[in-house]
Amino acid sequence: MNRLTPKNLLFIAKDIDMSCFGLRGSRPALLLTGLLTLGLVACGGNDGDSNAKGANASSDGFAPHDNRAEVQAYYEADPEFFSFKTIADLPADLNWENGSELPEMGSPKAKKGGTQYLALQDFPRTLRTIGPDSNGSFRAWILDDLEIRTAMRHQDEFEFVPGIANEWAIADDNRTVYVRIDPQARFSDGEAITTDDYFFSFWFWRSPYITAPWYNNFFSTSYTNISRYDDHTFSITTVAAKPDTDARVLELMPLPEHFFREVGEDFVERYQWRSKPTTGAYIVRQEDIKKGRSIAMSRIDNWWAKDKKHYRYRFNPDRLQFTVIRDTEKIFEAFRRGDIDQYTLNLAEYWYEKLPDSAPDVQAGYIQKSIFYNQRPRSNFGLWINTARPLLDDLDIRLGINYATNWQLVIDKYFRGDYSRLNSAQHGFGEFSHPTLTSREYDIDKALEHFAKAGFTQRGPDGILVNETGERLSFTLSTGYLTMKDILTILKEEAAKAGVEFRIELLDGTASWKKVQEKQHDIHFAAFGVFLEMLPRFWEHYSSENAYENAFLEDGSINPERKIKVQTNNLESYANPEMDPMIVRFRESDDKEEMIALSHKMQELHFDNASFVPGFYSGFYRIASWRWIRYPEFFNHKHSSNAGQLFVHWIDTEMKEETLEARKSGKAFEPEINIYDQWLEKAD
Amino acid sequence: MLQFNPQTLKKLRRFREIKRGYYSFMILVVMLVILSLGELLVNSRALIVKYEGDLYFPTYTAFNAGTQFGYDYSYEVNYRDLQARFQAEDGDNWVLMPLVPYDAYENDASDGVFKPNPPSTETQHYLGTDTTSRDILARLFYGTRTALLFAMVFTAWVYLIGISVGCAMGYFGGVFDLLFQRVIEIWSNIPFLYMVIIVFSVVPSSLSIPSRIGILLFVMVLFSWTGMTYNMRTETYKEKSRDYVAAARVIGASDTRIIFRHILPNVLSTLVTFMPFVVVSAIAAITALDFLGFGLPAPTPSLGELLKQGTANLRTAPWIVSSAFTALVVLLTLVTFIGEAVRESFDPKKFTVYR
Repeated sequence: MNRLTPKNLLFIAKDIDMSCFGLRGSRPALLLTGLLTLGLVACGGNDGDSNAKGANASSDGFAPHDNRAEVQAYYEADPEFFSFKTIADLPADLNWENGSELPEMGSPKAKKGGTQYLALQDFPRTLRTIGPDSNGSFRAWILDDLEIRTAMRHQDEFEFVPGIANEWAIADDNRTVYVRIDPQARFSDGEAITTDDYFFSFWFWRSPYITAPWYNNFFSTSYTNISRYDDHTFSITTVAAKPDTDARVLELMPLPEHFFREVGEDFVERYQWRSKPTTGAYIVRQEDIKKGRSIAMSRIDNWWAKDKKHYRYRFNPDRLQFTVIRDTEKIFEAFRRGDIDQYTLNLAEYWYEKLPDSAPDVQAGYIQKSIFYNQRPRSNFGLWINTARPLLDDLDIRLGINYATNWQLVIDKYFRGDYSRLNSAQHGFGEFSHPTLTSREYDIDKALEHFAKAGFTQRGPDGILVNETGERLSFTLSTGYLTMKDILTILKEEAAKAGVEFRIELLDGTASWKKVQEKQHDIHFAAFGVFLEMLPRFWEHYSSENAYENAFLEDGSINPERKIKVQTNNLESYANPEMDPMIVRFRESDDKEEMIALSHKMQELHFDNASFVPGFYSGFYRIASWRWIRYPEFFNHKHSSNAGQLFVHWIDTEMKEETLEARKSGKAFEPEINIYDQWLEKAD
Repeated sequence: MLQFNPQTLKKLRRFREIKRGYYSFMILVVMLVILSLGELLVNSRALIVKYEGDLYFPTYTAFNAGTQFGYDYSYEVNYRDLQARFQAEDGDNWVLMPLVPYDAYENDASDGVFKPNPPSTETQHYLGTDTTSRDILARLFYGTRTALLFAMVFTAWVYLIGISVGCAMGYFGGVFDLLFQRVIEIWSNIPFLYMVIIVFSVVPSSLSIPSRIGILLFVMVLFSWTGMTYNMRTETYKEKSRDYVAAARVIGASDTRIIFRHILPNVLSTLVTFMPFVVVSAIAAITALDFLGFGLPAPTPSLGELLKQGTANLRTAPWIVSSAFTALVVLLTLVTFIGEAVRESFDPKKFTVYR
């Protein structure tokens, strides 16, 4: 489930479709997602079989293990959470919805077949989708973009369309969601998806065996009950009523219980290279895993959802063939040769110089270039100022830094005006984003004015401001995005004009994450992963309990002995007694209007604190694809984050032959450079 | 007055006779002189400014704010703009800019976007610009200077430690020798590049860039001094058992005197012949580290960083990689030629089979 983001900075996934900003180096992507296992209790007839199978050690040499008794005992130990009811207990007055009237996704013109060739920068370190090393870029392929959710958000309409569930109902208390599973729903090994898989999933996600503390915590604190009515009917209750309660249940992805029957102490090793049965259209076959070199995914011939309305025109290629190419430039060269089918051109240098419109292959129509404007919550790229550091605890210094940071120059000259200025850390959440807040412009005079108020009035011999004690106005500007170091050098040069020095520190992704989690940074350049969800997050970033231990005394004054709290996402060490009750209210409220007002108020408060310098966002993605990769006439759906995410493209094998033939003979086609701006955000 | 002994003079004479090495040496010396005066040749600060009757020499002084020259900004004046303004005004004011009027850090986007621009005499980017429109010649120039300086200091330290430890091992022998041999065996088995990467990654960036470069140097020396010790140890062993050392000892010379006055001068030839190759390896190591992104802290200009940019833009901006590559090849070839010549001139056999 995409929405369940753990506390982690944005690391961008999907090697070739790598998202917008070319963060190719950053592998450890902690964009979490949920899974579930398949039914054991339900299939009494299968018991004999599985026992017989269990008597032998598995093919990869692990001793047999059976966790059924343990799981059963776990359910029994917590009857509050795991309720076993009968279909008669199901409330009768439920208002069942199914979203099936929403339009189809993809194009009816799509053809099945063909092989799509892709590149990976790194071979996946595991095929597990949970636990250590599992959150690499490959996980998007085997989990986030592949697995069918209980219900899926329609990518134009934002409402839910059926997935594993046929229909669902939200109880009046707005905390409980009732779900009816499609009886046709199957895992890729043919086992039916049942209520038991959902039950098992909760055991699994809360289990210490999976060594995933974020899952343990989230699934222990966000839900209060799961009730079984029959094999295909259940309900899940969340901890609090929310406008998006439905998403918290419907975006769950069940795990195959029968496959995870051997989960135990050695889960991490045992499941390292086992390929999980999926609910999605593709499966990784053991014979297609060539460690360190290549991996392939094959489409399931008789996929259970192949005729389902919102899925039938998607997941078209028969096979996805991934080859490991470690160097991005080599991947690009492989694309130019036609060995790789598509290449993301989000970076200006690729779009304008490395593959300009005038390139012979583009002019001859062999390679097509597409820009697609999307609408979704935007990654909050910007400078996170740690207000717990000396000098940075001074509002005037922070205001000065805001005015001394020339993002507009970066956008105009480095991104060539393609990107837009971010106005707050909560951009793209529709009504929840503040409509009028505008980030502070680069203004040397204002910056100097604020620095002067903080006591920095004189410029030293190198032009950097000093105060009366001779202290220089100098801060470390760190980042984990090595590919974005040029941006920081530009900011550094510009900030020096306003008399403040940024000392640039480039770290690798993991080291930088560790640094900010320990709150050792002055100013950090990063973005948090933002998913297609309704509500912006405030608690993680702005709650005082995430900034300090006992931030305030009983009377509301600042606790002089407060200690910085580490391992939280409050990178600004932001603590404001005015903000805290609003965050609590925002979490508790289920009145949308009130929440919108709160959201705006909180963004204003945060803006006044000037502890975040909003950077940029890209309102589009762009890609180059060989002619035989076809997209619907509208190209993609409104909320898609990259071209491949929804699998709406298909491969025209005849066109591939024709194109390769034409390339040899020199025959040209009509060049295609397409701009799809039907979802262009007008405010930009 | 320093008096060379006839042996040394003979070696120097032979060095001069080996033309390739000698000329390489002369070129390198000239290069070093040019590089050390770099700020006068490659700089965004003017050499001389004449404004309202006053003369300014900004090269080595504190910065001059824009307000001093009639601009409304308080940061450093842009001397190129100033020059253009004065020329347009056609008054008594003038600006004399260095040959290359750019420094290694400023982004000079002539056409409004930051991207690599090909070499052009018109914009005075004689080797073009890099991916963020910084002058390549300036970056190459200061990058080379840093690399050379780095390599020379590195060599000096490696020699100092290597000679001290090696000599002591050879001279004192016994338990000391045994112990240090084991220590060196262990130490030299630690992979050099990895260790430098790991150790340097925990150095806080709150330090200034020169001190971070200093720390990098220290770390590299820490893991490189071992190579020298073995040569020194064997040489010292050999010399120690010679009669002249025994004679010196009989006369009553102290250990210090024997080592510094008798043994060291006699093993000098071994040391000197190695020197250029240590320099070469230091330049190569620092370039490799930069290429991998673990070397000199950004945005310090460096050869490795340019090479990296160059390989990433091979198709679209070949001028980046070609200038960095040429500079590196020339530099390493010069030092290697010198090394060869030194080795040959210190070789006691005038005609050797190695030729």
